[in-house]
Amino acid sequence: MQASDQARNDEWSRLLIRVGRHRDRAAFEQLYFHFSPLIKGFQFSRGGQSSAPEAADELVQEVLFKVWRKAPSFNPDKAAASTWIYTIMRNCRIDALRRHGRQPDTDESLNVEDIWDDSQDDQPLIYLQQSRSESAVADGLQSLPPEQSHVIEKAYMEGKSHSEISEELGLPLGTVKSRVRLALKKLQSTIVR
Amino acid sequence: MIHHHPDNNMLLEYASGSLNWAHSIVVAAHLQLCPKCAADLKLLNGIGGNLLATSAPALASAPEQEKQSFEQLMQRIDSGNQSFDAPEAPEQKAPRTALPRKLAKDPVFASVPPVVEKLLGQNSALRWRRLSKGLKEARLKTGQCQHEVAFHRIAPGNKVAEHDHRGTEITMVLYGSFSDADGIYSRGDFLVREPGETHRPTATQNHECLCLSVVEAPVALTGIMGKLVNPFLSFRPQ
Repeated sequence: MQASDQARNDEWSRLLIRVGRHRDRAAFEQLYFHFSPLIKGFQFSRGGQSSAPEAADELVQEVLFKVWRKAPSFNPDKAAASTWIYTIMRNCRIDALRRHGRQPDTDESLNVEDIWDDSQDDQPLIYLQQSRSESAVADGLQSLPPEQSHVIEKAYMEGKSHSEISEELGLPLGTVKSRVRLALKKLQSTIVR
Repeated sequence: MIHHHPDNNMLLEYASGSLNWAHSIVVAAHLQLCPKCAADLKLLNGIGGNLLATSAPALASAPEQEKQSFEQLMQRIDSGNQSFDAPEAPEQKAPRTALPRKLAKDPVFASVPPVVEKLLGQNSALRWRRLSKGLKEARLKTGQCQHEVAFHRIAPGNKVAEHDHRGTEITMVLYGSFSDADGIYSRGDFLVREPGETHRPTATQNHECLCLSVVEAPVALTGIMGKLVNPFLSFRPQ
């Protein structure tokens, strides 16, 4: 990540803190207009029904609603603003998929946030300072060979499991797994370096 | 000390939200006990954050329309319970569900990770079924039918009959420990067994062992699980 990108991420963190501490609407508005096109762009990369514009608009509303509510618990030492918002978006996507496929009379069981919770974030970060590793991840992602970054993007942006990716690309499951592992090894090494 | 972890592939599927519901539960239980995997998860979430930060922004609709969407959101925020508008205290987390009294007294459930505690709260009447001498099973409702999620309890020193699996089986130790030909597994250890890998777990002598396990549900559902499935609804478990 360029130094300027890092500064920008810090700027989003500052805005989030203002929303959390002071319920600052102007700060929230800036976050809204920055992140909503990104969330939509991310969502459009999914094929099928979920890439419909209405679904993307709904997702934006849901994610930003949660951003407002959860902003008081945002801690910039634990995650960059974009990573924090990513986890909220991921949970909203899982939730939407689940509601879509659920039997109406199924018992309400665990919530998405029971399973994708952030309590593990309470543990002290014994590794590197968060902001440094965030920018290292960005550098690492850009230097991955295309066949590796392709499977990583499919997993995150299209929300596909390894076996779905293997079917879609006509690759053996083992090949998909090893590309993911190689990519992660490379990313981990950029951080430790 | 935890020695057996979910692999990077499974953690990445969890972080990207594509891992199925039942496997995600057991991965979450492991993450709540394992600082190493929790640290790895930060990297994996960071990948998602970077992909979001650098995703190609969707072309904005007309500015007035965008503005209108924003106003709508602010109205929703304002019209909600007034308390939404007051800053939520950061430490204000969902209260931990109290364990049913009968379970609270049972040492094997004394310090389970939060996600398991939540499951226990929703499955207060555990129905233990004896599978063989010294081995009991209680199935859990988890809001999906694709996998069977269950507790297994092995009596101290008991050997479980050698068994195979019809599909991938994931086992996580919650209390005590057991061993098989490949090693010893204790609290937090996470094991994946593929079909065809037989094993014969043995609980250690002095303690009972409690595990959380997930196995693919049989194609033809029978018994309790079968009754939950309404044949007239197409149901896509997640």
